Amino acid sequence: MATQIVMDHKGDTRHNFDAKDAKALLKAERRFKELTGAGFTAATRTADGEPVVTRTFDPTAEETLFFPRLVGG
Amino acid sequence: MLVNVLRIADDQLWRLLAACSRWARDFRDWYQLPSISELRGRKLLREWLSPEQLAQYDAHNYFEVTGCHTGKRYRIRHGMGTNVYELDGAGRPRTGWCFVPKDHLAAGDVMLAQKIALETDERGALAVANNFTPR
Repeated sequence: MATQIVMDHKGDTRHNFDAKDAKALLKAERRFKELTGAGFTAATRTADGEPVVTRTFDPTAEETLFFPRLVGG
Repeated sequence: MLVNVLRIADDQLWRLLAACSRWARDFRDWYQLPSISELRGRKLLREWLSPEQLAQYDAHNYFEVTGCHTGKRYRIRHGMGTNVYELDGAGRPRTGWCFVPKDHLAAGDVMLAQKIALETDERGALAVANNFTPR
């Protein structure tokens, strides 16, 4: 089961989906595009746990984290 | 008769005071509890920190990251703003950097976004940040 984690005012919202299910994968890709299009940054982790920013949907990613655009405080 | 009335009133007054004291204590405990969003933010942060960063965070309430472009070290303190410090060679805060996610998020989420930004796009993060002098 793959997960997309979206940071929000509740802490985060998790969307779990079966990466082997073509329909679920399409929905996850659409969510990826919507969020990154809205300015969210998408990040995954390497096997070593290092964060990597990703600009395109990776259907093999087990976990993708989305956080809102950064601004000066 | 009057003595009895006074005794009853005294008893009622003490009960009321005890109840008020209990309510005040319960309110204080409730007020000091971290919100659900705070707890979720902390949990997510802990999942994404390296073992070294997690140990540092547990011990000091901050953790350090290495900027991906310059190799500089940054300290991210627990907080929601003005909590990122660039360190000098001796590990002392040299410059403060303030950059946060656009939306209102829990502290753990803010810190995780700052960590990922510095570790993957240091220049991009500092380009939007405002700097300040550490106290």
